[in-house]
Amino acid sequence: MFAGVFCENFLLQAVMRGEPKLQGRALTIVEGTPPLMKVVAANEAAQRAGIRIGMPKTTAAQFLGVEIRARSTALEKNAHEALLDLGWSISPRIEETATDMIVVDTAGLGSILGSEEEIARKLVERGRACGLCLNVAVAANVETALVAARGFSGAYVIAAGEEAARLSELHVSMLTPSEETAETLERWGVRTCGALAALPVLKLSERLGQEGVRLHTVVRGKGSRAIVVAEAAHTFEEEMELEDAVEELEPLSFLLGRLLDQLCARLTARALAVQMIRMRFELEPTPEKAIEAQKEIVREKNLPGVYERELQLPVPMRNAKMLLKLVRLRLQASPPTAAITKIWIATEARPARVMQNGLFLQSFPDVEKLELTIARIANVVGQENVGVAEIMDTHRADAFRVANFLPAKEESELEIIDSHDEKRLRNKLQGMSCRVFRPPLMAKVELQNEQPVCVFFAGQRGEVIATAGPWKTSGDWWREDVWEQEEWDLEIVFRAGGYVEKRDGPRQERGLYRVYRDAKRGEWFIRGMYD
Amino acid sequence: MYTELHARSAFSFLEGSSMPEELIRVCAERGMPAMALLDRDGVYGAPQFHLAAKKLKPPMRAHVGAEVTAEDGWRYPLLVETREGYQNLCRLITRMKMRAKKGEGHVLADEMKESCHGLVCLTGGTEGPLADALVCGGLDEAEKRVRELCETFGHWNVYVELQRHFCRDEEARNQAAVMIAQKLKLPLLTTNGVSHAQVKQREVLDVFTCIRHHRTLSTAGRLLSRNCERHLKSPEEMTRLFADLPEAIANTQVLSARLEFTLENLGYQFPDYTVPDGKSPMAFLRDRVAEGVVKRYAENEAAKKQIERELALIDKLKLAGYFLIVWDIVRYCREKNILVQGRGSAANSAVCYALGITSVDSVKMDLLFERFLSEERGEWPDIDLDLPSGEEREQAIQYVYERYGQLGAAMTANVISYRGKSAAREIGKALSFDEETLSRLSNLVGTWGYKDERDALDRQFRDAGLDLKNMRIRKFFELCHAVQDLPRHLGQHCGGMVVCQGQLDSLVPLEPATMPGRTVVQWDKEDCADMKIVKVDLLGLGMMAVLRDTMQMVRDVHRTEIDLWKLPPDDPAVYSALQKADTVGMFQVESRAQMSCLPRMNPKDFYDIVVEVAIVRPGPIMGNMMNPYLKRRQGREKPESLHPSLEPILKRTLGVPLFQEQLLRMAMVVADFTGGEAEELRRAFGFKRSEARMKDIEIKLRRGMETKGIIGEVQDKIVQSITSFALFGFPESHAASFALLAYASAYFKCHYLAAFMVAMLNNQPMGFYNPATLVKDAQRHGLKFKPIDVTRSEWQCTLEQTAQGFVVRIGMRYVRGLRKETAEQIMRERRLRKFTSIDELKRRIPNMQKVELRALAEVGALNFLSEECRVHRRNALWQVERALRRPGPLLEKVNNDGDANIPIASGMKQGTELSELAESPLLRMTTEERLAADSYGTGLTVGRHPLAYHRENLKKQRIRTAIELTKLANGTQVRVAGEVIARQRPETAKGFVFLSLEDETGIANVIVTPQLFDQDRTVVVNNPYLLIQGKLQNQDNVISVKAERMQALLITRAEFGSHDFH
Repeated sequence: MFAGVFCENFLLQAVMRGEPKLQGRALTIVEGTPPLMKVVAANEAAQRAGIRIGMPKTTAAQFLGVEIRARSTALEKNAHEALLDLGWSISPRIEETATDMIVVDTAGLGSILGSEEEIARKLVERGRACGLCLNVAVAANVETALVAARGFSGAYVIAAGEEAARLSELHVSMLTPSEETAETLERWGVRTCGALAALPVLKLSERLGQEGVRLHTVVRGKGSRAIVVAEAAHTFEEEMELEDAVEELEPLSFLLGRLLDQLCARLTARALAVQMIRMRFELEPTPEKAIEAQKEIVREKNLPGVYERELQLPVPMRNAKMLLKLVRLRLQASPPTAAITKIWIATEARPARVMQNGLFLQSFPDVEKLELTIARIANVVGQENVGVAEIMDTHRADAFRVANFLPAKEESELEIIDSHDEKRLRNKLQGMSCRVFRPPLMAKVELQNEQPVCVFFAGQRGEVIATAGPWKTSGDWWREDVWEQEEWDLEIVFRAGGYVEKRDGPRQERGLYRVYRDAKRGEWFIRGMYD
Repeated sequence: MYTELHARSAFSFLEGSSMPEELIRVCAERGMPAMALLDRDGVYGAPQFHLAAKKLKPPMRAHVGAEVTAEDGWRYPLLVETREGYQNLCRLITRMKMRAKKGEGHVLADEMKESCHGLVCLTGGTEGPLADALVCGGLDEAEKRVRELCETFGHWNVYVELQRHFCRDEEARNQAAVMIAQKLKLPLLTTNGVSHAQVKQREVLDVFTCIRHHRTLSTAGRLLSRNCERHLKSPEEMTRLFADLPEAIANTQVLSARLEFTLENLGYQFPDYTVPDGKSPMAFLRDRVAEGVVKRYAENEAAKKQIERELALIDKLKLAGYFLIVWDIVRYCREKNILVQGRGSAANSAVCYALGITSVDSVKMDLLFERFLSEERGEWPDIDLDLPSGEEREQAIQYVYERYGQLGAAMTANVISYRGKSAAREIGKALSFDEETLSRLSNLVGTWGYKDERDALDRQFRDAGLDLKNMRIRKFFELCHAVQDLPRHLGQHCGGMVVCQGQLDSLVPLEPATMPGRTVVQWDKEDCADMKIVKVDLLGLGMMAVLRDTMQMVRDVHRTEIDLWKLPPDDPAVYSALQKADTVGMFQVESRAQMSCLPRMNPKDFYDIVVEVAIVRPGPIMGNMMNPYLKRRQGREKPESLHPSLEPILKRTLGVPLFQEQLLRMAMVVADFTGGEAEELRRAFGFKRSEARMKDIEIKLRRGMETKGIIGEVQDKIVQSITSFALFGFPESHAASFALLAYASAYFKCHYLAAFMVAMLNNQPMGFYNPATLVKDAQRHGLKFKPIDVTRSEWQCTLEQTAQGFVVRIGMRYVRGLRKETAEQIMRERRLRKFTSIDELKRRIPNMQKVELRALAEVGALNFLSEECRVHRRNALWQVERALRRPGPLLEKVNNDGDANIPIASGMKQGTELSELAESPLLRMTTEERLAADSYGTGLTVGRHPLAYHRENLKKQRIRTAIELTKLANGTQVRVAGEVIARQRPETAKGFVFLSLEDETGIANVIVTPQLFDQDRTVVVNNPYLLIQGKLQNQDNVISVKAERMQALLITRAEFGSHDFH
């Protein structure tokens, strides 16, 4: 015998499982990119209140007493895993039919778990204990079990030989036919399994092909397919609940090391390596944090008391020790704010890197070691300050961002600049070089006839003897950080010694500076100095 | 003094963000005496620029020019010095445009050399030849390029251009330019390379840049403007900026003085009509008119006198050629059996009537000839020709091309501007809104005619979940406003054609249209009119096609010859139908608003129809003229004019202005407007109206009235009637032409209903009602319809003769999803041999797609496949699925008993197939299923009305039929139910919603108050069938129900569609 286990309204149940207080309340699930989210599921209470599928979230929010939650794939995954666990808790032979449906082979379980009715009831009860409200249908064949689980609520047992009669009133959509077949059946006015069963099978096969025959077999309760036994999960995740919360890095490293060893062993068996590590620690709640967490709930962001980090690696790696060192460095750079009660680590796997070093080629530093070094540097200077400076495509002077280091591209991957553009580029680059102060130096500038005449900065006063400019730039007018600058090139003479360039040592009496006024703030800055 | 000689307008399509008028106005405000507009590869904005400059006080000089794209992508900024220069520029642009894709193309160096006379070339800004050469090859290359320009245009005609937008690169270029100018002894010239009039418009320009490059503002980077300096600057600012180069400023004046050409001096000539036998065009015209008089007027002395008067004026104004050209087009149409009718002010002319151009007898109608042609107005007469839409209109257009050559005739352009939806979508994209947000926004914008406060944009934004406090969203909102009405791209006008003596391409550049074989001028029809270029409108009108088809059928089937101009004039059936508002399907008088006016109007003669056509327009309704007119007509109010001086003008329409002519004459009488000013008034309030222009005219109007002592309330009333009316009012002649078509459609509907319905159904979509409503209305008038049948139906609907008379067979065009070629194949095959089964049908038409065969079965078109064996739709659907799964080639020749080599198509197994055809395990469709299949599959049903099946039940609920309402007293509480066939919320109705509910007996009208609508918006909008409870209103036999409660009527899934919100 087989038990079809179906979790109706899966999206809703997944959320309610994560938030049990929602049980019995009007609940609707929304999906989309904020602020444009729309309703994708609503329970009966919510539908009674007026919520409809496809309604914008803003409209749904106007209905009093309806709880709105964003769709959460994580919660759905958890619910699905719970469903699988539920199956495995009964039998080692289960089929992962769909996210919301499994089939459990109950053959031979009678002596342990009792009759089919009892098994079905147990499944329903265990489901309830896991926070899932399930339909369980037990039948002599897989197909009947599946259809009945979709069609009948609660625990339902179909004795052998009664399949066709029991299924006859169910709608054909319970058979999950293909879209085309479903349309054909609708056109034919065949709406129940009974009506489908009444059609002559040979003629049906002439019209609907093998699918028609299959459906016909199912509705007559003559299904005979075997279950596709699900293998234990192959996702590379490890988690550990801690009896005592861990606060120190050392004991945590010990635990992490264990998990990473296991992960790497699994990956090695599959000839894979780690491209990215995701860490999620559940933290011990503290009163202060609870308040903060409460706010987070309101914002529908991270769950309360959770520490999450991602570690992107430049190349796939499988060295557990190296990975542990990187993880430790990351944790040192931004430690969790409370003691850890649960550790969860997942990896994104990629094929391991295969590299053939040439005999006569210069050897480069090992990428893994280099990554470690960079992580150490980042630990000291901050993650946001390590990487490659990347010039941004904007008129804003000196705008750049720090991007991750990436292995050098092969020559063929480089963009080929056409000769025309190259010529333009070369012509543009001709000129003086300007040493830029980062951050720019604050300055005060006196104007006469809208021309700078005197500049104060770094405790010095300089007279302007020549000017060029202003060069005006402005942009990002559609954003809050709109900017506008007027830039000047000023030749400045310092009466009592000028700005001391610390690295160069000697004072300069006269200098050519790039000075700008932030027109939004009305402040002046020295951007740089021409060599 | 500085003069701006290099500016782009929004007509550079996405490279400028101000309209030409705004540029010249700001220029005047800044105190400049002249300005040049150099749009990209065209003179699109030149007429508007020129006219706006002319109207300024004092008038400014509007120089013409263009930035013309060269091979490498850089652009020659060219200024027109002489008329020859202008002609050269137009030809140059035409050549480049005609060989390229839309929006692309470049001129070749040789072409430029050939066409450079009369043009002055600047060295340009960032996109000019000098900048390009400097970047690519440095100073030497730049000098070489400038030398080449000198060789092409002549040393005297090249100016080295300097621009300062506070950019480093630009200053380096300026230094190089000065050096080159000194070396080559060329004059320097300052310009600001203007792209927008005001500083703020830089934002729109940036958005346009994104649209042009398919980027967003976040990813466009340095493609966006560096700063806001490309606006129009004052001479003082420019002088200060170029204080180091005063001669460059001074040269702007010198060059401006050199540029003698403006559009005032266009030199347009209308082509002469080539007359045979060496006669003069006038003599030839007289002969043609004389022929027409004999045919159409016979011995009418008044008409002859009028014609003589008109001919004298035509002779005096030398317009014989023009009339002959239009006559020639009409003649061609007649020869080709294309139904044609002139409309517009031409209907005021007896000559046009005699020539067969129009069908309205202006003498009999006492129409004012001067509205058509007047000596003082000094403009070309306007003749619009209505033709059946589609191929026949194209045939007439192609004839004009053929007659005057590809470069002698062209369509006028239609400038597509940014409006609500398109603006929202494109700006949203630039601001990186995702696709879903964009769709939601564009769906929200502009679906309703009337907008109450809460329908304003901010509410729409809120409804879409967008908060205007957010910077990005606020910008979106501002930009949506800012881009409204800016040109987006150039389309072609639906029918306006211009023709020219000689080469049209030397007058205005031509471009290829998207439709093969057509060319378009760069100006729209208003611009062409402004530039005094004569145009002929060849407009497609669905009703013309209906009338043509009907007349054809009447001729073929009833053997009766009917012509539009000789329809029986006072047909009682027509007036009876009009008086009862039984007008579904009739041209212009079928709308809900017309229907509720007709019983009050109670038309008794043709002029009443003219008034009826003109009065139910937004103009008269907004100007509060409809009710006074109807009351005066019914004798409930005394006919009084707004002012005694208007008495003669308004007498004919009982003191109420109804026609455009009256409005113009009112302005001339009360405010001393000249003919030209009155025409300007009409256009200011016309389609492309701008708030500012309308305000100016109103001020002028009031000032004029004050001088004449018309003040206070009377003045306000006159202003209101003129201003609110002008946009939507009809000219009397136009109304008369339309009234004739309305009369003709009514005549055919009353006397040849079957033929008229066939024509109506074959020319859909058109008119106010969908085919389902037309069919139901015709059925109520006793016409029978037969369903679609693959053994009988053609692609189009057809007439079938039966013992009871003519019936209409629905054509296969109504099967949703069926391609025309499949239908034609079916028709071809069945002519060869009858079909015996569905299998055979599929075998003989192998290209038939699955969806097509299923669609045919579902709508019952296969039910009659075999005469011996009628099947029901489910039967057919059962067989169809088998026919669709053909066995492979190996088994194809094996019959059901397994015998090989016996071809099934031979009919050997016909007996088996027939029995199978009759048998299927499926149940017949229920009535409800049949209705749903009809509504989904054809959009109409020839069976009973969906409500008829439920009448017993409805009766029990005390629900009245539409016909019963006519017998009830005013004020009775009633319940009505029906299918919603129209939902309207017109701008003129202050938020009231009008619903038309159809049941098996007719149409009931429902009025929904704004409050009730607000309360039950979803019920009204989302449900195809409604149950309404309310009070019956019967005013002068206009019956409606004022809704008090509304609810959805859930009786069927069949929806036949509703005409909503127009």
